[in-house]
Amino acid sequence: MNLTLTINGTVHHVEASPTARLLDVLRGPLGLTGSKEGCGEGECGACTVLLDGDPVNACLVLVGQCEGRSILTVEGLAHGQTLSPLQQAFVGHGGAQCGICTPGMLISAHAYEKSTKSLVTLRESIAGNICRCTGYQRIVDSITQAEHEDRVQTFGTVGS
Amino acid sequence: MAITDLELHSFVRLPTIADVLQTLADRHAASQKTVVLAGGTDWVVEQEMAPPHKPGAELPMVVDISRLSDLQTIHLNGNLLTIGAAATYLQLRRHPHIGMGDKRAALLARMAQDLGALQIQARGTLGGNLATGSPAADGVAALMAYDASVVLQSVRGERTVPITEFQTGYKKSVRAPDEIITQFQISLPTHYNWYWRKVGTRRAQAISKVALAGVAVVESGQIQRIGLGMASVAPVTAALRNTRSYLCSAPLHKLTGAELDAAVNSDCSPIDDVRSTRQYRAHCARVVVREFARSLGAPV
Repeated sequence: MNLTLTINGTVHHVEASPTARLLDVLRGPLGLTGSKEGCGEGECGACTVLLDGDPVNACLVLVGQCEGRSILTVEGLAHGQTLSPLQQAFVGHGGAQCGICTPGMLISAHAYEKSTKSLVTLRESIAGNICRCTGYQRIVDSITQAEHEDRVQTFGTVGS
Repeated sequence: MAITDLELHSFVRLPTIADVLQTLADRHAASQKTVVLAGGTDWVVEQEMAPPHKPGAELPMVVDISRLSDLQTIHLNGNLLTIGAAATYLQLRRHPHIGMGDKRAALLARMAQDLGALQIQARGTLGGNLATGSPAADGVAALMAYDASVVLQSVRGERTVPITEFQTGYKKSVRAPDEIITQFQISLPTHYNWYWRKVGTRRAQAISKVALAGVAVVESGQIQRIGLGMASVAPVTAALRNTRSYLCSAPLHKLTGAELDAAVNSDCSPIDDVRSTRQYRAHCARVVVREFARSLGAPV
């Protein structure tokens, strides 16, 4: 079946079974291997992508359910070779160690910055993302720093 | 079933509820199996864990209802709250009468906050929670506390079933194969106390060892109306009928912990499994009911 998906702002036409997992279509025919498969049962969050702006586990969504919808993967965060402020903060604060959880963490953190901040705390925003290097504090530091820099960019100064 | 087998299912997304009902009726008449899929957070996992698919055996067709907006509507008319069966937990949390605004049904948002994590809340639905039939369903416990009505539709018509009568056994219900759950109706008390407590391994992504949802209307020192729903202590979500009766039977100050514990014990039949033990679950069941009763003013 030919499916139309908007991924990272670009319309893609892909030949796939509508009951394939979104994760397999992203990583397979679309070649977007940034999203990782950890547990394959919606527990670990390594495959987190945004579906119409909300975080979902790509291992639990059938690609046919996404037809015509907008998906953001970790590949969509950077602008060309320039990392997003959030990604730069992860680099600067050691928010990534082995890296398997990082794409999902970045997407959950991005969702927090863009849409879920009014609903959840920072830690709750990444509660569905498991890091086995036990690096949560550095991840939280990274997201906090990115928030701070975002405010500096928006208002020019912070705390005055 | 391996992940690759998942791709062998046929799949349709239909534009209206009527189309879904007709498809279910036609396929049921032809003895063909159909899966009505909303968020998929249980079903996809079940497929991955199932034994390999036998070549030649017919797989059920997947009918996607996750994007039927008529099944996602939430509205409050006077005291009657109507929630579409395919509304997600995230929609509940964001709704002006549930998780935001006047929070008339705040218990539902509080429950939704503890269910999985945001990724599951963005996909999971109350209708799916009930249809899947897990005794650990947090959403069903909350609906039971509100004594919600379940609206079922088929081409044969519409019927309404009290949620306490929907489940008939472990993963069994009164839903006919050609029916879908379309909505939940909740008659909200004007003023009420509510309670939510989930006992899990950690704060997020936990399947309840025990969870209690409670709704109570207290007047003149006595409980006038109580609704309770408890997860993971029986083959179906427990309505705790004896506990409800006991809590309403006397002024709050005359209730005793020992009698309350006895009522809870008589309402629960927990088991040992991978997540917890019968003994711990029974203990938690008594403790959370006491905590709710205490919050209402009972000396227990």
